[in-house]
Amino acid sequence: MPPTETLRPGERGGSATGGSGAAISGGPEHTYIIRQSNKSYEHRDSQATAMSVDYSGQWVLLAGRGHLALQRLGQDDGTLRRHERQSKYEVSVAEFAICPSRKEYCAIATSQHIDIVRWGTAEPCYENSLRGHTRTVTDIDWHGKDPNLLVSCSIDTFSHIWDLREPRKPALSLNAVCMSGATQVGFNRVSGHLLAAAHDGDLRIWDIRKGSCPTHYITAHLNRVHGINWSHKRETCLATASQDGTVKYFDVCNPRRAEKIITTMSPVWRARYTPIGNGLVSIVVPHLGRGENSLLLWSNSKQTDPICSFVGHTDVILDFAWRPNRETTTEIELVTWSRDRTLRVWKIDDNMLNLCEPSAEEEEPRFEPDLSELRAPTPPEFLHPRSTMTAASLPISTGDGASNTLPMARSPSFGYYRREEPHIARSLTDQPTCSLHHEFSLLNTNMPHVEVDMLDAIKRYACFKISAGGHTVILQVTFATSYPSPSAPPEFQLCQGTTLSSDVSGILLKVLRCNALQRVKKSRTCLEQCLRALVAAMKKKIAAVGGGGGADRSQLLLQSPRLEGALSSALHDACIPYPRTSGVHFNAIGLLTTFSQPVNKRLTLRQHSALTPRTLSSINGSCLLGNVMATAQRDANASFYLQERMIAGKPGKQRAIRQMNGSPVVHVYDASNLLHINRSMAREFSLDKLDIAKTCRRNGEICRNHGRSDLVPVWLLAELIATPQVQHDPFKKSLLESLIMHYAMSGDIQTAVLLACLFDKCPASGGSSMDVVGRLPLQLNSQISPYHTVLPLEAKPSSSHNTWQQLKQLRSNSWSDSLDLEVRHLPYDGYTCSLIRRAKVPLFDQFKRAYAEILFGWQLLSKRALILKHTQNPPPTVQGVEFVTECGSCAKPKRTPKCEPCKRPVLFCVLCRLPVRGAANACLACGHGGHIDHMMQWFENHKVCATCGCSCLERTSSLLALLS
Amino acid sequence: MVSLLQEIDTEHEDMVHHAALDFYGLLLATCSSDGSVRIFHSRKNNKALAELKGHQGPVWQVAWAHPKFGNILASCSYDRKVIVWKSTTPRDWSKLYEYSNHDSSVNSVDFAPSEYGLVLACASSDGSISVLTCNTEYGSWDAKKIPNAHTIGVNAISWCPAQAPDPAFDQRVTSRSTAVKRLVSGGCDNLVKIWREDNDRWVEEQRLEAHSDWVRDVAWAPSIGLPRSQIATASQDRHVIVWTSNADLTQWSYNVLHTFDDAVWSISWSTTGNILAVTGGDNNVTLWKENTEGQWIRINYESGTAIQSKQPSSHHPHSQHPQQQQPTQQQLQQAPSHPGPSSDSEHSSNLSNSNLSNSQLSN
Repeated sequence: MPPTETLRPGERGGSATGGSGAAISGGPEHTYIIRQSNKSYEHRDSQATAMSVDYSGQWVLLAGRGHLALQRLGQDDGTLRRHERQSKYEVSVAEFAICPSRKEYCAIATSQHIDIVRWGTAEPCYENSLRGHTRTVTDIDWHGKDPNLLVSCSIDTFSHIWDLREPRKPALSLNAVCMSGATQVGFNRVSGHLLAAAHDGDLRIWDIRKGSCPTHYITAHLNRVHGINWSHKRETCLATASQDGTVKYFDVCNPRRAEKIITTMSPVWRARYTPIGNGLVSIVVPHLGRGENSLLLWSNSKQTDPICSFVGHTDVILDFAWRPNRETTTEIELVTWSRDRTLRVWKIDDNMLNLCEPSAEEEEPRFEPDLSELRAPTPPEFLHPRSTMTAASLPISTGDGASNTLPMARSPSFGYYRREEPHIARSLTDQPTCSLHHEFSLLNTNMPHVEVDMLDAIKRYACFKISAGGHTVILQVTFATSYPSPSAPPEFQLCQGTTLSSDVSGILLKVLRCNALQRVKKSRTCLEQCLRALVAAMKKKIAAVGGGGGADRSQLLLQSPRLEGALSSALHDACIPYPRTSGVHFNAIGLLTTFSQPVNKRLTLRQHSALTPRTLSSINGSCLLGNVMATAQRDANASFYLQERMIAGKPGKQRAIRQMNGSPVVHVYDASNLLHINRSMAREFSLDKLDIAKTCRRNGEICRNHGRSDLVPVWLLAELIATPQVQHDPFKKSLLESLIMHYAMSGDIQTAVLLACLFDKCPASGGSSMDVVGRLPLQLNSQISPYHTVLPLEAKPSSSHNTWQQLKQLRSNSWSDSLDLEVRHLPYDGYTCSLIRRAKVPLFDQFKRAYAEILFGWQLLSKRALILKHTQNPPPTVQGVEFVTECGSCAKPKRTPKCEPCKRPVLFCVLCRLPVRGAANACLACGHGGHIDHMMQWFENHKVCATCGCSCLERTSSLLALLS
Repeated sequence: MVSLLQEIDTEHEDMVHHAALDFYGLLLATCSSDGSVRIFHSRKNNKALAELKGHQGPVWQVAWAHPKFGNILASCSYDRKVIVWKSTTPRDWSKLYEYSNHDSSVNSVDFAPSEYGLVLACASSDGSISVLTCNTEYGSWDAKKIPNAHTIGVNAISWCPAQAPDPAFDQRVTSRSTAVKRLVSGGCDNLVKIWREDNDRWVEEQRLEAHSDWVRDVAWAPSIGLPRSQIATASQDRHVIVWTSNADLTQWSYNVLHTFDDAVWSISWSTTGNILAVTGGDNNVTLWKENTEGQWIRINYESGTAIQSKQPSSHHPHSQHPQQQQPTQQQLQQAPSHPGPSSDSEHSSNLSNSNLSNSQLSN
């Protein structure tokens, strides 16, 4: 079919002086080229949903549910290379690699997976399957420079960047923490570092070198973005096509505002820059499938009307691609695939590309110096006036009768106005305000569902008839004289003929006022915006009232997921890990808690892998998930995973689940034997140091009795070490230390600590300790109150003393850090005869404290205190708690258990470490004390203090005697 | 070796997600998708002592505070809330504090070592970590947030055990000034991060990268004082990794414990830090122990002896799996005549008084 080319005559805005009749007559107002395809291939039996052209421009891939097919473009046999594939899912996207080194590769996205297919000579070869998304993959884009990289985005809100050298997981996951899934994604064509992803109407710009959060957010469109395309020449520029009927040019450096806007009447499906020249091609999806299914070529410098329209397809165009011409760089071809199952090829020639260049007419003389730049492929930004959004002049639009009321439309002033606009735009950095006349003249009179009844710029009012969702609204808008100033929104009134109840009308009016106010605040025209909002609100309202009018409702759902709580929660759940069905937990004393419950297989979609899914959203992922936040008052008996999520809601189902699985059972195990700790052994072990050898023998017996006969030899060894005859054996120390370290390393802390305690210091040689104790209270009494727990002396019934520095920081194990005692004794190092080197003491003290904590858990408080007596360094103190009789904050002595003004207890038990509220007892000499029953328990078996070496009973009684 | 003490029918109406015993092992707390937390007596299979209702969504995890603060329990839920419960008697519970400053599900809670006071860390799917500090004197709570701790979400959190100051260097410094609080967290960015409190701010100290999928659980091993630290992490990528560092926590090396058959999501260290319990999507519970050569071996619950691991891990180049089993404990046990420090005999005593069968544990 030879290309036909016609030049449709029409009136350009500037030339239609007074001849508005011609513009009204229904023909397109502007001159543009109509093009028919140079070539077309028909594939009646193909159900392909995705199309892609390979690097060489020779092959076109058509991918559908049942097959993959290649069409060769160069030779005109028109036959397809078909390859069957088995899948129950449609192909959502197919993309050939765009780097020459991978030109045989293409990526095909089906459901949640992406297959990498290599086209060999015969069969397509499936190289990899990229799995990582949890919901349907919506778009793929190859990196322009790095042949191994590709990006995919999905309804699960993630964009994954894949490196084909490591296909098992995404090289980088970009998560837009947002409520709407990603629908489009694109790598920057110039640098390759930037990446744009569309979520509903918003864009997120990522820098893949910094994947943690987006570098820019762009609130691009009011409705879903269908297409993203980065400029081939300017690194930061991209164009977006949206459901809201606009194509916007953005510079990501200036994310607040679109640079240029093309407004059409219908949703725009795709918009792509021409690889050469200065154009952009868009696919417009006509409403309800009626109207021309055409591609439009626009000049980047002129948004008011297209350069060319490519006609021929009889159904919606699904996708198009550029066919690169590798020989000449001045000619390109366009390949389109439509639902009418024809593949068409169009040539874009020099003529058209030249038309895309900025025309001389639009250039102001004062921009002359910049002319060379203007001729450059991408004209500088300032040349492009922000053509007002309402300046829709779609070629296929047909003026209707209402235009009769537009005497000013396309007036001679229009051309003048356009020339002025750049200056205003640059100075205000916003759209210029314009008169009511002008707003009316620019109003798109062909909005769906809206009929313009009256536009009177002199009387300053307008009348519309809006019919949507089976209802009609007669809307009268009155404009104040100061309109459009920021303070004067128009007034809205619903007139007779409106078929809505008053409460719905009220809501609609509110919507109108809100929208109007928002627009006029920015000194923008508001009429068209308000009308569109009204139509949307009416559809939604009526659909909601009418219990969801089927198609309308589902359409809303798909268009704007963030409106729908349920769907957004499903997306939200994609970040929440899959619930645990089993668990383990060790507590502090070696009890192990476990539970596990068989998962109802119906809960999960496990058809692809045997692995447990990652996210909560995979539970019944195909349905809309329940939103907990929205249904706070959900039935307490409902199963979160079944009833709620399947929206089945049958009573009694939950009972069925319980019968099936039984209610969850938790097992409590005693694993202490695995940890080599034993409570009853701990209770029986002796630390009597009078005869260590004998104690060792006894402990060995205890081990044997409790079935730990493996420990008997160790105690035998210990007995040998303790035997005085071999006291000076040089190996003793290192043997003991190795034993202790070995048991500690292997986790048998009980044995390690007992050994460490038993050989802590040299055995008691009887004696003089009482004398020391006897001397001390005088010093003590002079400095501290009786309740101080600072250790006044060596903690053993032996006479071994430390150097005074050591003594100074010898603190009790109860919580005290308040006092330093100046106690000077004869320097006498208890470690000279100890079998444990001083360097090891701090480490062993740590072991003792860890073991003491276990004893605490077993509530063997006396044993715990005994162990802690063998520690040198105080355990870490607790913040804010000090054991003094004076209240810590007011420093007043307290007789009550709690300091009332400061609201804190003042006395803690040295055995159980809890604050003493009730009966308490304390030693008058050393100040240690606590709960009376704990003290009783302790002093039944012991003579000396639980914390220090003070023989509390004797000292206290003698002190009392002294006092009396 | 492991004996079943009690089997408790929780009677939850939906899946149970976590169960934890208190410090003394007396009370058991369970939480479930039915939105409730239940308290049981751990040694009697009676009805629940108490049912704590306050969450409006599945409750993911519970944590007990140290008993010196009283009977305090924290729970976190899908409903974005963290609730701290306090009891006077085991049957009588009340809300002590409710924290609802997260924007998404809160997945994990953990109480800090008692030395730091009553401090709770919470990990949320909104990507942030909250550290809640209770002023026990006044009963007021102070929240500090680490925003953007992990992109996408934080799945697990665990505290570093309180580190006593190294007395070899500094005998006089009070522990108060040297106790550096540290946290480890795991998230959806496949990373494990160590956080340190630095002048009232939490800073990222280390970033441990080895997992190839979401990290589901982290657990900092309790310390008995040995100059090393261990962290176990479990991930959706089916690996459990044990990270080991020296005392100064600067150099971390890792060792893949095992590659499981399914995602692993719950791990717990024994209090002595030498046994690791693991479970995951396959619902099997396994216990692991590090032998003297630093290899991790699976232990048989009944005998406490090693089980040949099912598969030598093949996926990971760094994994050091026991290629050959070490001599079983029993063999050594037969000749324990003179167990020097090098002997392995004390590892086990084959005392199997358990009424537990393998199948019971691994359902």
